[in-house]
Amino acid sequence: MSGLSLATSADLLKGGAHGPVIVAGKPDDSPLYRMISGDKPKMPANANPLTASDTASVAAWIRDGAKWPDGLQLGAEVWWSLRPLRKPQPPQGASPIDAFIQAERSKRELRPSPPADRASLIRRLTFDLHGLPPAWEEIRAFVSDPAPDAYQLLVDRLLASPRYGERWARHWLDVVHYGESHGYDKDKPRRNAWHYRDYVIRSFNQDKPYTRFVEEQLAGDYLWPDSAEALIATGFIAAGPWDFVGHAELRENTIDKNITRNLDRDDMVMTAMSSFTSITAHCARCHNHKFDPIPQEDYYKLQAVFAGVDRADRPFDRDPKVFAERRALLARRRDVMSQLRPLREKAAAVSSTELTALDAMLRDIKDDFNETRKRELQPIIAKMNAERKALADSLVDPVVQGEINRLNAELRPIDAAIAKLPKPEMVYSAATFFDPQGTFTYAILPRPIHVLQRGSVENPGKAVSVGALSLVSTLNSVFGIDDQQPEGARRAALARWITSPDNMLTWRSIVNRVWQSHFGTGLVDSANDFGRMGALPSHPELLDWLAVDFRDSGGSLKRLHKQIVMSAVYRQSSANNAANAAIDGDNRYLWRMNRTRLDAESVRDATLVVSGRIDLTMGGPAVEQFYFKDDHSPVYDYTRFDVDSAAARRRSIYRFLVRSAPDPFMDRLDCPDSSLITGKRNTTITAIQALALLNNPFMVRQAEHLSARLRERATNIHGQVQWLYRYALGRDPKPAEVARLAAYANANGIENAARAMLNSNEFLFVD
Amino acid sequence: MTRRDFLWNCGGGLGGVALAQMLSGATHHPPKAKRVVQLFMSGAASQCDTFDYKPLLIQKNGEKFDPGGKVELFQSTPGVVMKSPWGWKRYGQCGKWMSDLVPHLGGCSDDIAFVHSMMSKSNVHGPATFMQNSGFVLPGFPAMGSWVSYGLGSLNQNLPAFIVLPDKRGFAPNGPGNWSAGFLPAAHQGTLIRASDPNPIFDLFPPKDARFINSRSEAEAWSLLRDMNRDHLQSREGDSRLEARIASYEMAARLQLSAPEVLNIDGESEATKKLYGLDQPVTEDFGRNCLVARRLLERGVRFVQVWSGADNGFPRRNWDSHENIARDHLQMGTGMDKPAAALIKDLKSRGMLNDTIVFWTTEFGRMPCSQGSKGRDHNPFAFTVWLAGGGIKGGVSCGSSDEWSYKAAEHPVYCYDVHATVLHLLGLDHTRLTYRYNGIDRRLTDVHGNVIRDLLA
Repeated sequence: MSGLSLATSADLLKGGAHGPVIVAGKPDDSPLYRMISGDKPKMPANANPLTASDTASVAAWIRDGAKWPDGLQLGAEVWWSLRPLRKPQPPQGASPIDAFIQAERSKRELRPSPPADRASLIRRLTFDLHGLPPAWEEIRAFVSDPAPDAYQLLVDRLLASPRYGERWARHWLDVVHYGESHGYDKDKPRRNAWHYRDYVIRSFNQDKPYTRFVEEQLAGDYLWPDSAEALIATGFIAAGPWDFVGHAELRENTIDKNITRNLDRDDMVMTAMSSFTSITAHCARCHNHKFDPIPQEDYYKLQAVFAGVDRADRPFDRDPKVFAERRALLARRRDVMSQLRPLREKAAAVSSTELTALDAMLRDIKDDFNETRKRELQPIIAKMNAERKALADSLVDPVVQGEINRLNAELRPIDAAIAKLPKPEMVYSAATFFDPQGTFTYAILPRPIHVLQRGSVENPGKAVSVGALSLVSTLNSVFGIDDQQPEGARRAALARWITSPDNMLTWRSIVNRVWQSHFGTGLVDSANDFGRMGALPSHPELLDWLAVDFRDSGGSLKRLHKQIVMSAVYRQSSANNAANAAIDGDNRYLWRMNRTRLDAESVRDATLVVSGRIDLTMGGPAVEQFYFKDDHSPVYDYTRFDVDSAAARRRSIYRFLVRSAPDPFMDRLDCPDSSLITGKRNTTITAIQALALLNNPFMVRQAEHLSARLRERATNIHGQVQWLYRYALGRDPKPAEVARLAAYANANGIENAARAMLNSNEFLFVD
Repeated sequence: MTRRDFLWNCGGGLGGVALAQMLSGATHHPPKAKRVVQLFMSGAASQCDTFDYKPLLIQKNGEKFDPGGKVELFQSTPGVVMKSPWGWKRYGQCGKWMSDLVPHLGGCSDDIAFVHSMMSKSNVHGPATFMQNSGFVLPGFPAMGSWVSYGLGSLNQNLPAFIVLPDKRGFAPNGPGNWSAGFLPAAHQGTLIRASDPNPIFDLFPPKDARFINSRSEAEAWSLLRDMNRDHLQSREGDSRLEARIASYEMAARLQLSAPEVLNIDGESEATKKLYGLDQPVTEDFGRNCLVARRLLERGVRFVQVWSGADNGFPRRNWDSHENIARDHLQMGTGMDKPAAALIKDLKSRGMLNDTIVFWTTEFGRMPCSQGSKGRDHNPFAFTVWLAGGGIKGGVSCGSSDEWSYKAAEHPVYCYDVHATVLHLLGLDHTRLTYRYNGIDRRLTDVHGNVIRDLLA
């Protein structure tokens, strides 16, 4: 029944892969009827069979000629996320956000909570926008600021700080599953990936219009070829895992090589679609999407977008003149290399009985090779290799060899000119030309893409052209791009499809992500799935209002943040209210602010701020908070890391993210696996997590640094305890609190008191 | 969010207050087994040198390997047919043929059910190792142990539900990614225990150089923290996460007491230590891990994963014997055979084999033809896994490979069917153990899997 759809009359008549499923007038000859009837009906699979009266109805309908009502389309009701955008009129109220929220609360007799006090508010806002706690002096100043617009000034100040970009870049890196090693077996580090992380930070700090942000990440190298920044942005395409062995060690045209490439493009499609449109297109790799209107062919149209790119290090120059020269030279080099490759393959494929015999001898010697016989065997192997080369060269067709020599000669001046340029920087990004690494090499032309039956590379079906999802009915989903056009045109077309004002998914997706990061829960509580398996929006009108407002005002994220954090709903107290809780225990309708546990990065960064050890240097290569030893499979050992070294003091966004070996400390605080697309983090509470916070050498050492800082502030224990509360919790302690902690510190030292404080709920949660 | 998800996110994990009780009725049908120990042979253990006896390889030794059709190998061009360097004998009442590399397991043949028709969807170590662990060739999916932890929780509030004992020589391909909880809550991640390391569990105790911490400061810190957190909770009633954090420190304190006890094997008898081969260097490391596994299972850990073999580097430290099967499989096989057999015998003598599944697996098999002249290349088309214990029929072989041990012939299966079978024995329906992630109700078995009825007692 594969490929069968029963949505329209035409679909029904077409039938499935095995032909028509209905023979009008003859139920017993109709495969459809046979599938659903009998003692053990095959369909529906994995569900209860239809009732006898249902199957009888189907039989009667077929007997009567299987007539389909004109124009009827089953499942035609348009799913909420696919309806075109319009801007709803907000109800009367202070601000549109508050008015929409209040309207839903009123319907349920929920009463809003009073505003949070200023001390809570500055702590909430600073963690939210910076991922860091406010300094004690900042808290004091804000709490006592008489200005009526004190809060707005605080918001503006925080949004203008570079700490904002560092915080919000982390949210985006979760979504795109950015990591700094390949993952899988032989998990090699990606030492040049960090440029993309810095690009995301810069983009947020510059408040880059969202359209530009999207387009750069998918096709910056093509759309803005002069801009190094736009090339770096394509690190997005390369962000996910990559199977080194599959790409670099398998031979061309083997099944596993094709599987590797198919899964690699799948990752690109999945990342692009879930990040920008919150649609699970990748569910249509093996069959039509089971829940959303995504035919398998649409999915492979998206694979065709990425059919010409791989993930590799790519050179760039900050000097525009050098960059332009390099690009011109590399384009010529690519042209020559692309002519050379088939000729070299031809030359390498020569064979003769002598050559085969020589290869067998070489293999035997290599089998016997070991450390003790190294000195004896190495010269023999070298000599035989030389003989082999001479013999193989003599077998190559002279015409082929002549062409190779000519092209090699063409290559020399190009290579010489490249060598004269200043040394470039490298970024791990989307790449269409790079030096081969084992059997891993670039695609001369985009690779042909076929619909794969059941997702199997061994069953290629129809060839597909470049395009996107037909479910966005307002846009053309076929791009009309062929091999004659540059590869980048494919990605640019997808980028423009996504950023079109008429792509309703894009705008709903991003405003929902931003809302989720401020409140802990999105208006749609499935940030990466706006399909039928996802959640319904709690406030559909607010979502659409925000989406259109954001789109039509230039796609400024900072403006959106400000709208949200200035709202009364955001500024509410997080305190409980039994009457409200009885109606809406999950706080879906936002009768209070959500209390949140700090995420892993915020715990680590806040600890460094409180201990006074944080180093706020921005950007650059990732800091390795482990012992590294390169090997067949490299070793990343977190237990052999000096937690007092400079690398430990940087903000967590600058940590080197190893896919196969994530930092166990961060892991336990729910830092997600960087191989996973993470639309929303889990927040768990476990004993293993408690032990990490108590005993991890980093935490223990920071408790000591914090104590040293307290001693600088006060010589007596009471004073030290007071400052401990101010630094860690941003408030003065009550007398009983001072007494309790001072008693403990007197008996056990201020270090232990500091350590306990860093484990307290009040430190780890934000009201 | 299902009830199960909710419980796990709020105070689940280790023990999780009264959670174990709340979940104890959560199986889908009455279980035959309560716990699992998975022995994972990293690097691809050869089926045709251990459990999959093929007289044809002896007969045609040294002749051209011609099974019909194109033979596509991972690294090499196919060499000649190569018989196993080990001889073969029949064992037990079932008369199972097994090689001289695994004589101790031969002694357990009547307890073991073999599956000889396993296939893998990848011929590459990384993806294939992921597949055997999580059912997917991609990183980021929950391991089988994580699913079992999610489905059943722990039988012991003081120990994690899913524990991993790696090979002393290092991690297998994919590293700790192999026991990732993926998108499941972090509590279901495999907890790494390095049994012979002076510091076997990360952060179980304060670092030794933190001199300001002593037993008195520790004891008082627990109660201080509890008091501080209770005060904080007073004005924030109704937030179960705050209560769960208070409880999590109580559980952490219990783990500090229970973990050293379970890892300390001094109290085991000399006979037991000898049974596991702790007296011989070749079996000592895997033997220690198998013995610790038994102690963990005894104390209610649901799922223990024991690794034989590290990464695919040189000199060989796992089963990936491309160069020399006689040399490298001898080392790995001898190191594994006696301890694995000891584990079965020991569980049996303690009456635990009835409700404990022993599951021996690897990422794929090896070719019946030679690579170079002495090694074997990867074989994703046929390999062997076996199970013993709770609910498993002993002394049977399900499915078979062809006469070469080259491709699965009768009843070919992927890991999905074995995973479905193990879950079934634990009382879980593999189609109903699901978790919603990015719009899909994810399962250990993806959209596949049939319980292998022939394996069931």
